[in-house]
Amino acid sequence: MALDLQMPVLVVDDYKTMIRIIRNLLKQLGFEDIDDAADGTEALEKMKQRRYGLVISDWNMEPMTGYELLKQVRADSGLSKTPFIMVTAESKTENVIAAKKAGVNNYIVKPFNAQTLKGKIEAVFSD
Amino acid sequence: MERLDLMANMKQENVARVIDFLEENKNRDGEVSLTDVMHLAEVMSGSMYDFLSTVQPAVTEELTSIAKEIRRMKEEISQLRANDMTGNKIPDAGRELDAIVEATEEATNSIMEAAEEIMGADTSDAEAYQELVSNKMIGIFEACTFQDITGQRISKVVSTLRYIDERVTSFIEHLRIPEELDAALEESEEERRKRELILHGPQHTGEGVSQDDIDALLGDAQADIDKLFD
Repeated sequence: MALDLQMPVLVVDDYKTMIRIIRNLLKQLGFEDIDDAADGTEALEKMKQRRYGLVISDWNMEPMTGYELLKQVRADSGLSKTPFIMVTAESKTENVIAAKKAGVNNYIVKPFNAQTLKGKIEAVFSD
Repeated sequence: MERLDLMANMKQENVARVIDFLEENKNRDGEVSLTDVMHLAEVMSGSMYDFLSTVQPAVTEELTSIAKEIRRMKEEISQLRANDMTGNKIPDAGRELDAIVEATEEATNSIMEAAEEIMGADTSDAEAYQELVSNKMIGIFEACTFQDITGQRISKVVSTLRYIDERVTSFIEHLRIPEELDAALEESEEERRKRELILHGPQHTGEGVSQDDIDALLGDAQADIDKLFD
């Protein structure tokens, strides 16, 4: 899978500020088509209406967490191949292992910098 | 021990009085007058009086001790100043925290707006661009003044937490409540959700895993993780 800067990216976070930060970082990296959702439920609805090339999601959100979103995406045959990066403050080993088991493509712990985000996105598309 | 002996002696004495009374009146052939009944009642009540006289000091002592304990507990509860905590201290701390969230959000937005304007500015006119950057930088410095105010607000919240901690600790110590008497914790709906969805929240420095550890978990160390599930 090649990295395409034209592909739509979905940023999922319940903090508008974090969405704004990730959106700006993605713009700096060259992405132009960036959409957002405030939690897993809204993200899933958007994903069923539009095919996103990458999902960048927080973990701790209500009512549907990023972890639940990841599991639902992987369980849906139409969405299961969507690259999924978790960006979260949840930094316990059990979180990382659970996310890995659920099929996450990469995992970024907050706070993070532009270089880390860039590196992880490139890593997902170089696999 | 002395009290028990006294009670035993008195019981014997009273029993003897009742026996004497019955012995004296055993040949009445069922002819019992009101006077006899009254006399028997007198003997019986006399024995009860003796018994109660013996027991009363012990009961009074116990009741006085319970009353003292209740008075002491009331004093401890008043020292706890629970109404002040729920009516003032805790709501005030909540308002301070809300103000901190608001101030940090406002500052972050101001800083990001300035950064976004710099990022999107026209660079063809170097002089105008330099002036814009300079103005926006001043705006960023101004926005950073939130740290001083939030620092003061956080100090107030910390002071409230210390106030509550001191009073609750003193209350527990004075009431001599051992840890084993703590009621078993029942998992709330929110706690169940946190457990099932593995929600720990941000970790303190040195507590969680670093980005390098995560990269190792997801990358080269994958075989080690797989072993955990074998």
